[in-house]
Formats: sequence, structure tokens, C-alpha cells
Amino acid sequence: MRNIFERVKQWNTLTRIWHLYDAKWQDPFDSAKVIQKYLKGLHKPIYHPLADCGDHVVVINCKEIAMRGDEWRKRAYFHHTGYAGGGTYTLAWELHDKNPLMIMKKAVYRSMKGNLQRRYTMERLHLYAEENVPQDIIENISSVIPQLRDVPMRLDRMPEDQVKGYPKIWDLPKDYVVR
Amino acid sequence: MSNSHLLLLSGFPRAPLQNGIGRYVPQLKRMTIKFCKSSGDSKGTREFIESKLVDFAKENPGTVVYVKPRRHRAPCVQAEYLNGEEHHISLHNMSLEETTKWINLLPMRSGRPTNLRLRKYWHTDSPSIQGVWSPFTNRDPALNLAQFPMEEFSKRKNLTKTATEIILERWQEQKEKDSTAPVQEKTTS
Amino acid sequence: MVFTTVAQFVRANINKIKGPDEFWRKRRIFRLTAHFIGRKRNCYSLAIRGAHRALQYATKGRHLKKKDMKDLWLQRVSAGSEEHGVPFPVLQKGLIRSDVLLSQKTLSELATWEPRTFKALTQLAWTKGVEDGFNRIETLGEPPKNVVTRGMLTKEVYLSDDETKK
Repeated sequence: MRNIFERVKQWNTLTRIWHLYDAKWQDPFDSAKVIQKYLKGLHKPIYHPLADCGDHVVVINCKEIAMRGDEWRKRAYFHHTGYAGGGTYTLAWELHDKNPLMIMKKAVYRSMKGNLQRRYTMERLHLYAEENVPQDIIENISSVIPQLRDVPMRLDRMPEDQVKGYPKIWDLPKDYVVR
Repeated sequence: MSNSHLLLLSGFPRAPLQNGIGRYVPQLKRMTIKFCKSSGDSKGTREFIESKLVDFAKENPGTVVYVKPRRHRAPCVQAEYLNGEEHHISLHNMSLEETTKWINLLPMRSGRPTNLRLRKYWHTDSPSIQGVWSPFTNRDPALNLAQFPMEEFSKRKNLTKTATEIILERWQEQKEKDSTAPVQEKTTS
Repeated sequence: MVFTTVAQFVRANINKIKGPDEFWRKRRIFRLTAHFIGRKRNCYSLAIRGAHRALQYATKGRHLKKKDMKDLWLQRVSAGSEEHGVPFPVLQKGLIRSDVLLSQKTLSELATWEPRTFKALTQLAWTKGVEDGFNRIETLGEPPKNVVTRGMLTKEVYLSDDETKK
């Protein structure tokens, strides 16, 4: 009898949790550092590198990630087909146009050490371009990873009265041309 | 110096069997005495078989005793236990008294391996009083009923005020001050 | 002793010159390599190289094992404390200042096996941090209200003194 309860307790401790992460307006490289912690199980006090204690992470809104400065134009992703002259450099914005999940995926992949476990850890990462997640995935989710930075409010999506009620901070110079 | 510990069976310490508190179950299942009929090193073993073996078998009805003569080889006794373990004792050049002592030791053993590499030096039946940590121990109960995706939980905990918030706060203060002393409005679109 | 010939000298000191008997000398090495795989186990010239290398690894491993365990405890304790919203440095500093001198091993075991105790420790450290004004402690948010420290009591007394003066 006793062993039955012990066994269930053990399952309880080693349960895999599914976390949700909203990548909207988030830096993919900073996010990757947080996400990989959850994938490996580094956020648990029972962590052990040989124990299989990593969790699943579902990342939504990968299409709406944000990058600093002009990284969209400057960051290049290298791919080599293996044939002579098969190397290509793709800029971040081009890659994002082709596949909106790729930047996030590569960011998480690179944030981890290149060992044998990396590929298996990556299998616990589920990326979605938008908020629409299949029902069989969403019903597993039971926890949320908080975002790293606030999602800014866009001026064109702000309610009209809020825009009008906003305090004026400085006066524009008289010769300033408003476009 | 040797690395024999690497080849040893490893295990954890545990309390001895509670055998005999209710019914006693003899743990020694089978015992094989191997000896030589002619050589001198089996003399004690041969004497044991002649004089004491039948009594031993009568005293231990739960044990099957085999006797296996083999030419010109050292005598030994091999014991098999209910838990599947096998113990092996050499009876080489032993006198009758020594042989009797070693063989009488076997039915008293529980069959646990005598030479075990302990992975831990302690054992407890209750490792935790408050319950072992689990992912649900410190979880926000609000998450239990949440429907995902939910923006409310995704939001970063706003612990320091942003510049925008500070401006709006000051604006509010200023408005309150202005309402006491009438001054012109400063809002613009 | 006087040796009239070289042969006699060699005979008398054979063990000092040649070492112990070849079989036993090799057997000492083979005992170290008994668990190896392949020819390193049984071929002496390979076995002795393997044994030397294994002993070097063992020497390094003795230090590495301690370091690895420390890293693991640190990882576990910081994971446990971050779960309660307290970064590890705050926990460490807060506990030391509260005279709670627990090692990281103990803390990591508490985090797993006695989670309520560990939660209380994080709250204690947090309150101490607020009281002593740790750097950027206000960014952690609302401190726990269920911890009473000696510092709080003295503060209350000073306040009431001021009020009586007024």
C-alpha cells in the first residue's frame, strides 16, 4: 500500500509542466536565455543534469518578436548546403519573412551548450507564429512564463480619448514642420 | 590498491528482514557441498558429510542439500537464497569444527550480498516531513482555472515605475493642484 | 657485506635492481585496470599507460567532484529562491545578516525536501534585505508581511517616542 502512494508522489515531483511564453515584442535572444532554463529544468530545486526534469515551453506570437537597433538589417544567418559554393547569408528580416519561427528557434538552440542532449531538449520547445495554438497543445498548458519587457502600446491602437487626454510635455518650435 | 569497488554490486543500506516476527521463512533455498573423495584438503568436509550432514538436513527442512563429489578439486559450499543471491565459501583444508561453523552460518543469513558498495551511508523511511517539492507546491492557485493564452499572466511584474507612468502621475498631481487654484488647461491632442 | 664478484652482488640485490617479481609487479597494475575495456585491460604496456592516465584523472576528479556538487547546490538553491521571487544573492546576504548560517547543501536539500521551511527562509532574507536597504531591493515588489524582525520592533519604539515628544 505504502509503495503505491510513494510512487504517485514521485510522479508528482517529476511531472512535466507545459509553460506558455508570449514572444510579442520580446527580444528573442534574451527570451531564449529564459526559455532554455525551463526546457532544461534549471528552474526546479530538484534539478540534476542527468535527470530528465525539463519542461515543455509553448512560445506564441513568434512573428511579433522585436530586435534591438538595426539588427533586423544587420544580423545575418549563415547556411551551407554542403556543396561547393553552397554558403548563403540571409539577413534577419529576410529569414523572418521566409519563416517567422526560425529566429526564435535558432536563438534558443544557440543559447544551449552543444551537447548530445540539446536536440532532445529542443523537442520540448513548441513554436507558433501567432496566438492560434492547436487544441491538443493548449490543453496541456498550465503555467505562464512572464515576459521580459512590457509590450508597448501602439499610438494607432490607443483609444482616441486617451491620446487626447495625454499631457503635453513640451511645445514644438514654431518652425517645426509636422508631416 | 585496487579498483574492486568499481566491479562490486552497489546498493543502498536497508533494515534487515522482519523475518520471524510472524511466520519464519527460511531464506536458504539450496546448498551444494562440493568435495573430493580422496584428497587431504577435503578431509574436514568429508567428516562433516559422514557425521553431521544428515542432522543438518533434518534441522533445516526448508533447505535442499546437494553433495557433489569431484576428483582432486578443492572443497567448497555454495548456498542459494530465496532472493536469488548466491554465496560461496571455500572449505579448503578446514577441520571438522571449522567446516561445521561455516556451514551452520549459511541458514542464518538473509541472503543479502555481504560485499556491497553502499551508494549512501544512511536510510530513512520518511525523507520529508512537509512533503517533497513538486511543481505544484508553490504555484499560484489562480492558474488552476485560467484559460490560456491569457495576457494577464504574461505581463511582466511592473515593479518600478516607467517614465510614462511618472509623467502621468505628475500630471495628475498638477491637475489636482490646479483644480484648487484655477489655471488654464494645458491639454493638447 | 662484501661481494667478491658482480654476479654475487646482483644476486643479493636482485629485488632492488629489478623490482619485485614480474608477475606480482604487473598484477598490481592489472588490478587497477580490471574494469577497463579492450586491450587496455590485459596488455601490460597498454594497461600501465591507461592506469597512469586513470590515476591522473582520479586526482583531477577529486577536485572536480567537489566543484560540481557546489555548482549543483547553487543551481538548486537559486532555482528554489527564484521561485519565491528572491534572487540568490539576496537570499544569501539576507540569511547571513540574520545569523542563519546554513550551507548551500543544506539549503538545497531544504528546498527539495522541506519546501515550506525554505519558503520561510526566503521571506526572512527578503525582509532583512528591505530592512537593511539592499541595493535595488524594491524591484522585487511587495515584501512579505508575515515576518517580524527585531529591527521592526525597535523602529516601532522610536516612532512612539517621537509621538510622545510631540
